[in-house]
Amino acid sequence: MKVFTKNLIYFIISMTILTVIFRYTLSSMLDAKLFWEVWIMATAYGLGAFFLGWYFGKKDGNDLPLYDIGFRFHFATYLICNVIGELWLLSDFHSKYENIFTVHLTALIWGAFLAIHFIFFLISRKKAINGIKKTEIFE
Amino acid sequence: MRTSMKQTNKTQELLSAWEDTYKKGQLTLWIFLALKDGKKYVDEIREFVQEQSEETMSCESQSLYRNLRKYQHVGVVDFETREGNKGPDRKYYYLTDVGSELLETFIKRNINLFFNDRIQKLIK
Repeated sequence: MKVFTKNLIYFIISMTILTVIFRYTLSSMLDAKLFWEVWIMATAYGLGAFFLGWYFGKKDGNDLPLYDIGFRFHFATYLICNVIGELWLLSDFHSKYENIFTVHLTALIWGAFLAIHFIFFLISRKKAINGIKKTEIFE
Repeated sequence: MRTSMKQTNKTQELLSAWEDTYKKGQLTLWIFLALKDGKKYVDEIREFVQEQSEETMSCESQSLYRNLRKYQHVGVVDFETREGNKGPDRKYYYLTDVGSELLETFIKRNINLFFNDRIQKLIK
């Protein structure tokens, strides 16, 4: 099955940029003690990530309808968010109000949901040939 | 007269509904036939389908590209690039060995049925 499609790569690039901006803004706002405003910014980040996934995911399906029940995009999002989060804290760019434990915990809980998604993805592959749903190949 | 008109309208409506469903499954066969006829780029495939189906089948280039991408992905179709007349290079699509075998088997199982004497008489 083709894993890296053009739209997934565009998604990875834009999501990485968005996440770095989010991390930088989050740390800056926490340092400035703008605790309430952080929620607004985090919501905006969540919405931004959702719309990027929706936009590139839809385009990806139009180009080649890979039947992966969204797993490739979910896995990419997981890696980007958590790897950047870990690196941000390990590189000491974070605010004094952030701690590495929260980042580990997020990766762990999210990882559990990702593992469940992966199981469903493996099950869904039985309905596909080379990653395209059997009923959609010749429709 | 009025009843006859009503019946004709109904027949047309039903025919249109039936043909819409029927044609959806037909496009793959027409594309494969176009490629069995020889390597073609998308516009040539579209022309072949329209001409040979006597305009009963029509397809947008976008939809053809999408289908060809799927067929290529599952390995029944591939393409080679040749220089275009003026613009960019063209992708000339062809059936792979798997694609040819698939078409042959499909025709044997689903199309040749229509050529037995009994069915031929019914169709005529």
